[in-house]
Amino acid sequence: MTQTADTPRGLNAATLTLIMIGIGFPLTFAQSVWLNTIVAGLGLLYLIALRVSWRKVSLILLIALPLAFGSWISFWFFGTVDRWHLAWMYGSRVYAYLLLGMIVTMTVSTQRWLVSLHLHFHLPNAFVFGLLGALNMADRVRHEFRRIQYSALMRGENLRLWNPLLYLRIVLVSLNWSNDLAEAMTSQGFTENAPRTELIADPMPAWQWGLAGGLIVIYCAAAFGLRPW
Amino acid sequence: MDHFAVTNLTFAYAEDAPPIFQELTFAPEPGTFNLLTGPSGSGKSTLLKLLAGLYPQYGGVIQSGQVTVNDTEISTLQPFQRAAHVAMLFQNPSRQFAMRTVLEQLQFALANLQLSPPEIDRRIQTVLTDLHLTQFTHRALETLSGGEQQRVALASVLALGSSLILLDEPFANVDAAGRTQLLADLKTLQRTQHKTIILADHDLSGYAGLVDQLYHVDGTQRTLLQESPAALPATTPATPVQGQPLTTGPLAWHDLSLTVGDRPLITAAQFTLPASQLGLLSGDNGAGKSTLFAALTRQRRYAGDIRYQDRPAKQYKLKQWALQVAEVYQNSPDQFIRIQASDELALSAQHSLHPTYWTAERIAQAAARLNLAAVLDHVSYALSGGQQKKLQVLSMLIMGQPVLLLDEPFAGLDQASLQAVLTLLQQTIHDLQLSALVVSHQRQGVVSFMDYELHLADQQLQLIAGEAA
Amino acid sequence: MQHANSQVAQVNPVRWTIRDVIFLALIGVFFGIIYQLWSYVYYALAATPLKPYANDMTIGVWIMAGPLAGVLLRKVGASVIGELLAAAVEMMLFSSWGAADLISGFIQGIGNELGFAATGYKNWDKLGLLMSTIGATIVTFAWDWFQSGYKAYTPTMNITLLIIRFVSIGFFSGVLVYWIRQLVAKTGLLK
Repeated sequence: MTQTADTPRGLNAATLTLIMIGIGFPLTFAQSVWLNTIVAGLGLLYLIALRVSWRKVSLILLIALPLAFGSWISFWFFGTVDRWHLAWMYGSRVYAYLLLGMIVTMTVSTQRWLVSLHLHFHLPNAFVFGLLGALNMADRVRHEFRRIQYSALMRGENLRLWNPLLYLRIVLVSLNWSNDLAEAMTSQGFTENAPRTELIADPMPAWQWGLAGGLIVIYCAAAFGLRPW
Repeated sequence: MDHFAVTNLTFAYAEDAPPIFQELTFAPEPGTFNLLTGPSGSGKSTLLKLLAGLYPQYGGVIQSGQVTVNDTEISTLQPFQRAAHVAMLFQNPSRQFAMRTVLEQLQFALANLQLSPPEIDRRIQTVLTDLHLTQFTHRALETLSGGEQQRVALASVLALGSSLILLDEPFANVDAAGRTQLLADLKTLQRTQHKTIILADHDLSGYAGLVDQLYHVDGTQRTLLQESPAALPATTPATPVQGQPLTTGPLAWHDLSLTVGDRPLITAAQFTLPASQLGLLSGDNGAGKSTLFAALTRQRRYAGDIRYQDRPAKQYKLKQWALQVAEVYQNSPDQFIRIQASDELALSAQHSLHPTYWTAERIAQAAARLNLAAVLDHVSYALSGGQQKKLQVLSMLIMGQPVLLLDEPFAGLDQASLQAVLTLLQQTIHDLQLSALVVSHQRQGVVSFMDYELHLADQQLQLIAGEAA
Repeated sequence: MQHANSQVAQVNPVRWTIRDVIFLALIGVFFGIIYQLWSYVYYALAATPLKPYANDMTIGVWIMAGPLAGVLLRKVGASVIGELLAAAVEMMLFSSWGAADLISGFIQGIGNELGFAATGYKNWDKLGLLMSTIGATIVTFAWDWFQSGYKAYTPTMNITLLIIRFVSIGFFSGVLVYWIRQLVAKTGLLK
């Protein structure tokens, strides 16, 4: 979701985030294979309704399969009670989480997500534009990572992932680049905690708050009241 | 018309640090084009950042005096208030944009000023038309050339309405055509809109007849000296390399092509780097010299064939390759993998490919010749720019890879250091039969050490001095 | 970094500047790359019954960004915000997990944060990191008790997992972070 402000489709990014967190959190404490399946299924239906690339969705679901299998089989192996239920419950939970994430990550651009969190959840502008600025440097960060490794290889050393010298370079590059970008943004008038013109309209109709709230309440009632298998 | 003034300013990077400027007084005449010169590290950027109000917000301490715009201290204004008076273009174009596309970047800057959406649209239309950038409106900034990026940065400065435009080494990644165009744009803005322009550059060529005032940052007196613009060189005649007959060597490339996005940089290049010889790789900024080095060190994709001793590069593990093809990086801290200077040398000595040649005695001698002996117990990052360069070069010479690529290794060196580095480089290359290729915008004092020159222009890499074997 | 000494970053214990955010987010992008490398190891183990062991062995790596942000910026909330920023970067650039990234990022950050808070935000050194290791071990283990179903495993297995987790967090988010901070301090580039 690195593309920029798209034409918004589907639900508001803030609504989706609310659903994602609001159901994702209690899901940790729920014990139901059925509810996991329903959450994952509804998520999938939403993605299909928005015509998200079928190939991408399948690929992501496929990549997660070994992880779901790992959960499944570890309870089959190590579980103490009720192994069948636990194996299926924790296996299906992987997909419930994944699809809850995908309804946001596959349908909303980074910029719209951050702007939406700013407008509806008061995320400070420093976080919106700081994150955007850093994310727009991602390709250069990848290059720099390769360069750090090469600079060590040239000296007969391999900076492995547990070597503090690797992280020293990472910290210094981040310090230097963040300083440059922050100075430039300040020179372009960016002021922390000052009002700015909001150029992106991001309406969040009341019914969407209702929908998110309703879904969360229904989920919690089902998970902790009904407690299906 | 805004009036900017620096009055009796004493400024240091920290409370207890020696001042960079002492009792500096300076007021640019409104509507003039001013050129600020001085060696790298002398404080040009610092002065610009003081005028922009970025210092002391982002570092340093004003110990006495003040920097004002229309008699208001600039550091007391909020950034969105300052931006309407003064804005800055930075050396590294790619690190001055928060947003992804040209349009979003301009919108970002103008939204900071809390302008109404129609006013934002109007200003964007105007500046894009004025600077002939309309066709770039929706382009991703990453895909633009260095020159185009700087013109977008100039567009946002213009849109903000700043009357003082500061440019800190703006041509570092800009080719000659881009530079000419940007300078012409600036001159037009000065004439038609009475903008005040202060441009910092260590390279004086191309400014004759363009600038009204010339200032020199004097590091010893910690102040600014005004000089006559008549002193600017008309055009620097390029000192030619006296080419030698070329030898052969282990690293060669055939049919090598490099692109950035869909913009071709180098097409179908072919060459064998001669051993025991020192070559100059010349060409405009942004022509693709660093990109070629990145390909040769396998840091980026390329099309075609790079071979070492007749085996394709891809048959070597990266770890092996790094012990054949080494690079002295343009940005010194990219080279360091220890904290202290002496540890950098010790690490190279420990893994040197020529341990019998680089005896402890020879290393100590080389360090002394480079005037590094006294600073070896210092933290590398705290050394001056010139000392860092010398430390980098020596570290890599001690490693002694058969192929050594050097990207601007002479930046910030004084005359004596330059001579010492080149002498050491030449001697080591002869003694160990290394192939070395140097990118250096500075030719004076350099070309007499070079055995051949490769020139990169219009996507072509051509041998312009030296006789192919 | 040519004028290294001009870039000494100042530290303000409460206010979050755009520079702090970009700094932590960039570190987050670097960590995203490192996580990708680690994930091959994790993935190979996690597709087997050994998944809980894979979780606990690698957890120290996943949560490093939080304590690192803490000791570098020395701000109240730095561990939680650092970890959340890394999670947001992870979510937007590298993975599709979204909810899981953000929620677990938050939980992990809270664990570290509690450790630093226990010292009254006065110790960002060995003691602070020890407390943050303990905080993160307890909080994340409690979380996995429910989220990953550890409560269904035998007590012996849980004790083993707890020890592995403590060692992993202790090394990566404790010792390694301490070393990094020492190195950064030596360069003099961050006060």
